[in-house]
Amino acid sequence: MPAVKVENLEKDYGKVKALKGISFEIKEGEIFGLIGPNGAGKSTTLKILATLLTPTGGRAEVFGYDVVKDGDEVRKLISYLPEEAGAYKNLKGIEYLQFMAKLYAKTGKSYEKMLELGVRLSGLGNRLNDKISTYSKGMTRKLLLARALMVEPKLAILDEPASGLDIINAYSIRQTIKQFAREKGITFLVSSHNMLEVEFLCDRVALINEGVIVETGSPKELKEKYEAENLEEVFMSIVGKEGGFQYG
Amino acid sequence: MGDFWILVMKELKDLLRDKGLIFGIIIVPLVIYPALGQMMQVGFEQAQEETKVVLVNLDEGQYGNLLIKALETAPNVTLTKIEALSIDEAIRKAQEKNYNMIVIIPDNFSKAIENNQKAQVEVYGIIKGISGGMREAVSEGRINAVLTVLNEYLAKLKIGQSIEGDPEAILRPIDAKSFTVIKGRIVAVPPSLVANIIASQSFSMPIVIFIMIILVAQMSAGSMAMEKENKTLETLLTLPVKRITIVAGKMVGTAVIGIIAAIAYMIGMRNYLGSMMSSSSRIGISLEDLGLKVTPQGAALFVLIMFLAMIFALSFAMLLAVFAEDTKSANTVVSAGIMPLAFPTFILMFADIETLPLAIKYILLAIPFSHPILASRAMLMGEYSTMYVSVLYLGAISALTLFVTARFFTTEKILTAKLRFRRR
Repeated sequence: MPAVKVENLEKDYGKVKALKGISFEIKEGEIFGLIGPNGAGKSTTLKILATLLTPTGGRAEVFGYDVVKDGDEVRKLISYLPEEAGAYKNLKGIEYLQFMAKLYAKTGKSYEKMLELGVRLSGLGNRLNDKISTYSKGMTRKLLLARALMVEPKLAILDEPASGLDIINAYSIRQTIKQFAREKGITFLVSSHNMLEVEFLCDRVALINEGVIVETGSPKELKEKYEAENLEEVFMSIVGKEGGFQYG
Repeated sequence: MGDFWILVMKELKDLLRDKGLIFGIIIVPLVIYPALGQMMQVGFEQAQEETKVVLVNLDEGQYGNLLIKALETAPNVTLTKIEALSIDEAIRKAQEKNYNMIVIIPDNFSKAIENNQKAQVEVYGIIKGISGGMREAVSEGRINAVLTVLNEYLAKLKIGQSIEGDPEAILRPIDAKSFTVIKGRIVAVPPSLVANIIASQSFSMPIVIFIMIILVAQMSAGSMAMEKENKTLETLLTLPVKRITIVAGKMVGTAVIGIIAAIAYMIGMRNYLGSMMSSSSRIGISLEDLGLKVTPQGAALFVLIMFLAMIFALSFAMLLAVFAEDTKSANTVVSAGIMPLAFPTFILMFADIETLPLAIKYILLAIPFSHPILASRAMLMGEYSTMYVSVLYLGAISALTLFVTARFFTTEKILTAKLRFRRR
């Protein structure tokens, strides 16, 4: 059974068609990247899989559960990190992790183990005892990522995981994701507009543009197919062919 | 600990650490209201101070002396006789002695009374710059009281001299003895007094209910909007927790703070209103004397009605908050949605619902917030059948609102619904 199965998924926001019938599958334990420019439909796809939005057409399944009909079941398997996320400012960092661990611990992993992992992943040390309102943007992001990963979900849905992080923190996050996929068999669905990041991180990627998936494959396959140096060039050559901006 | 309590605890922690909120809803009512009451009390006591009267007696007859004697023996009045040839001189002398009242008995005072003509006494109150005249008003009242007694005394004296019979009966031929029929029992207390007693017991109730509802509604909508503003809502909605549990956790968390705030208001208000409300206790008649008492059944029904009204306020505010993008717009939607429902209930503070025009009566009955106010009276009067009707109605409307709110939380509307407030 695939971890994620998306078939002809459509989503309209009023007259705007955000998704125009996309399909893809993610195997269990795979790191799958959804890449494309701003407004391509990445976040919408992730939100549908995270049970936040209802598709206008098509269907999406997570480990065999329909995201619309079986929302409660899907939510037990996933952990979602929105692109623009915050944490409760009046809580301390550690209290935030405790709150989340308590809610997830019942669905499997023991509370103490989960919290310990969260503390380690956050890398915030003693600052965890300070109120979140005193954190920088990068620190908050690290706390949220630690929260998303400490629960060791079957599927982690991360929307621009490294957004707002500096080079060092972004690098360590990517290492953690790879390690989690390899050692714990966690499936990752990651979105990014940073194609170099995705190339380093993902086993397979789907290139999405204007609500349509224009290409799917491993970074290596795609680079060979389009005789490109990197995914950025792959993307530009596909979009270019389809009548996007062309320079020179 | 179940998911529900984990969410309630988080809500409480998050809210109780908000210094601005705690200051506004707990510290302010507990400190500001009693302070305000204290200030009024001080002003009131100041006004009740000894009345210092400067008296100029230009009359040489017996009645002038009678008036002086009456004033001298009046409580809280200090009299100082001075010589003055004009009112200006009297005012100057009074001000020198720091006296605020002047009484002038004119030279024809006794003669007028003897000739059965109206005699006149001049009373001057000297209001200083910023005193506001409260003290002078009290002083004038005291002097007038002395004059009333004296008037009556002289009238009876004159009647006694010229007509046979009881001077009192001739002066006031008709006397009314008032009774009140309450719950089928005749009580020898005038209805106006009974109304005062009941009002003093149940007047503050609508105010407290109003404040509580607005506070609770604003807080629950605010905490919901805060989730949107701080971008925590999306994460919250993807947690392995049933959506109805999220809604309930948030409602109970804010309700606890709302109740704490309402208690703070109640304590603060009681201290503030204490000085004004004490009149009924001075009468010395209690509710029990009138056959009105709160039974356990009445109290239980009242608490249930308050609880249901609160559930309605909370879930309705949450529903409104779905359309708010941030805390500011949450306040706007709550004001627009809850205030129009809460304000009409003030009519019930002054009017009996049964005597209102039929349309207004049913509109008021349709508003859930009317029921706690009606219930506070019904509880005293022992009219439990109307309270049961309130419970049924509030139960139904609260359940319906809760259901609709929970439905909204299970759809994407919670993330996508927006009301735009256009700037003019």
